[in-house]
Amino acid sequence: MNVIEIQNLTKMYGKSRGIEDISFHVEEGEIFGFIGPNGAGKSTTIRTMLSLIYPTSGSAKIFGKDTVQFSSEIKKEIGYLPSEVFYYDNMKVKDLLKYSASFYKKDCSKRIKELAEIMELDLNRKIDDLSLGNKKKVGIVQGLLHEPKLVILDEPTSGLDPLMQQRFFDLLEEENKKGVTILFSSHILSEVQRLCDRVAIIKEGKIVTVEKISTLKDNNFKRFVVEPLAPIEKSYFSIPGVSDLEVTDKKISFLFKGNINTVMEKVAGIEITNLSVTEPDLEEIFMHYYEKEA
Amino acid sequence: MNVFLHECRAYRKTTIIWTLSLVGIMVLFMSMFPTIAKDIEDYKKVLDGFPDAMKQALGLQVDTFGSVLGFYSYVFVYISLCGAIQAMNFGTAIVSKEVREKTADFLLTKPITRNTILTAKVLAAFTSILFTSIVYLVASWLMVAAVATDEYSTKAFLLISISLFLLQVIFLAIGIFLSVYLPKIKSVLSVSLGTVFAFFIIGMLSSSSAEFKRYLSPFKYFDSYYMIEHTRYEGAFLLVGLGIVVVAIIASYIYYTKKDIHSV
Repeated sequence: MNVIEIQNLTKMYGKSRGIEDISFHVEEGEIFGFIGPNGAGKSTTIRTMLSLIYPTSGSAKIFGKDTVQFSSEIKKEIGYLPSEVFYYDNMKVKDLLKYSASFYKKDCSKRIKELAEIMELDLNRKIDDLSLGNKKKVGIVQGLLHEPKLVILDEPTSGLDPLMQQRFFDLLEEENKKGVTILFSSHILSEVQRLCDRVAIIKEGKIVTVEKISTLKDNNFKRFVVEPLAPIEKSYFSIPGVSDLEVTDKKISFLFKGNINTVMEKVAGIEITNLSVTEPDLEEIFMHYYEKEA
Repeated sequence: MNVFLHECRAYRKTTIIWTLSLVGIMVLFMSMFPTIAKDIEDYKKVLDGFPDAMKQALGLQVDTFGSVLGFYSYVFVYISLCGAIQAMNFGTAIVSKEVREKTADFLLTKPITRNTILTAKVLAAFTSILFTSIVYLVASWLMVAAVATDEYSTKAFLLISISLFLLQVIFLAIGIFLSVYLPKIKSVLSVSLGTVFAFFIIGMLSSSSAEFKRYLSPFKYFDSYYMIEHTRYEGAFLLVGLGIVVVAIIASYIYYTKKDIHSV
């Protein structure tokens, strides 16, 4: 079953672009990454899904229901953590969470306690006095306290220290094991790589690709670094499948995708002093996608 | 219901402060009445020297200045100014504060409709204004009775005092509409003071001329001297006031449900 279904979603801000013709779907129980640089349209997409803003055309469905029409009904089962958290300053953390819980028709006090303990959040402090990281923790607890079936996170880790980030990820994985679907938007690849099953890459308001993290990673992309004995012409390695080619006198480096034998023959054809073939990290693939499109 | 209670709590302190201030102004002015009433002939002489336009603009009617209701009517001009500012402030803040304090994301991702949110907020602001008006009404009733030196019509007094509430409702509605309609209100005070004073000044200027100009400013919808004379409101103005409220509120609902809430 698809928890999120987005079809040809377009949002224009007047004449300027928000997102254009975005389509993807997220299956139940999945951790779905949503990645792209700042201003690519991640937040716009998420805000449209939450009907904070309304689409210019196209539609988004959550739990099979249209997000505009059934907005309030859908939101019962959604936990949302915005990229920047702001809450009523003059409230205590406890009161804010109670206020938040009061929107859901169930008793959340036990869950609040549990979550606060995991995230080491002091419930008796005033929100006003909290640091950025602690405010973020309030946001996390606030987003999870009603045990939603879908968690939407918009760049959730900013401001959290590595230890808390780790706990937060553990928490998310635990939720995911219970069957919770997670949409995780970020511009930091390593966290997406660590957590997500599939990822949509968005750039300039358009989806570039939707891939499994594993496919994306082993897509037969290899990073080659060859150190030749004598300088080599750049054209020597200009064969199909090679990209990101850099040639200096002592070092040739490129990304390769395709039949590895063809490139090994090329390498065998010259005298070399050293060779390394590595799996590129997602970052490199990601940059590659961007450059290709640019 | 939870939003309503939350909003009420948020308004509690300011409501109390506004109420006390309004009562304070009223008490301060009215406590001067006995002294003024004693030397009313001298005062009248001085006031008669004022140019007519100025008297009208200030809401002064020399003949009635010595009666307790006449004096109260004069004081009430300023009470209603303050009351209008309070109502306008609450109205303007009501939705815009979610944008300003960046809590819109919190509230609007909860499982309630925007209509429910707006209703809760409108009712909360309405409640606090009702509270102010009731406290004011009781306090002014006692005060006027305490300082009165002549016979006066309780009904006329009530009409005048209750017009504070009506005026406040009008300004509340205008404020709510601005709050919803303007994309981002950086400072509530400048918007609300600006609007209220603009209407107040329009009211002052229009009082010295033709009848139809009175429609331009809600401050002129409830004329104390008319109420003293006829012990009723002027139907046409009551209708126009009601019209403004209904239109502003309906427009706010329509606009609010369609509005894009932009990230910060």
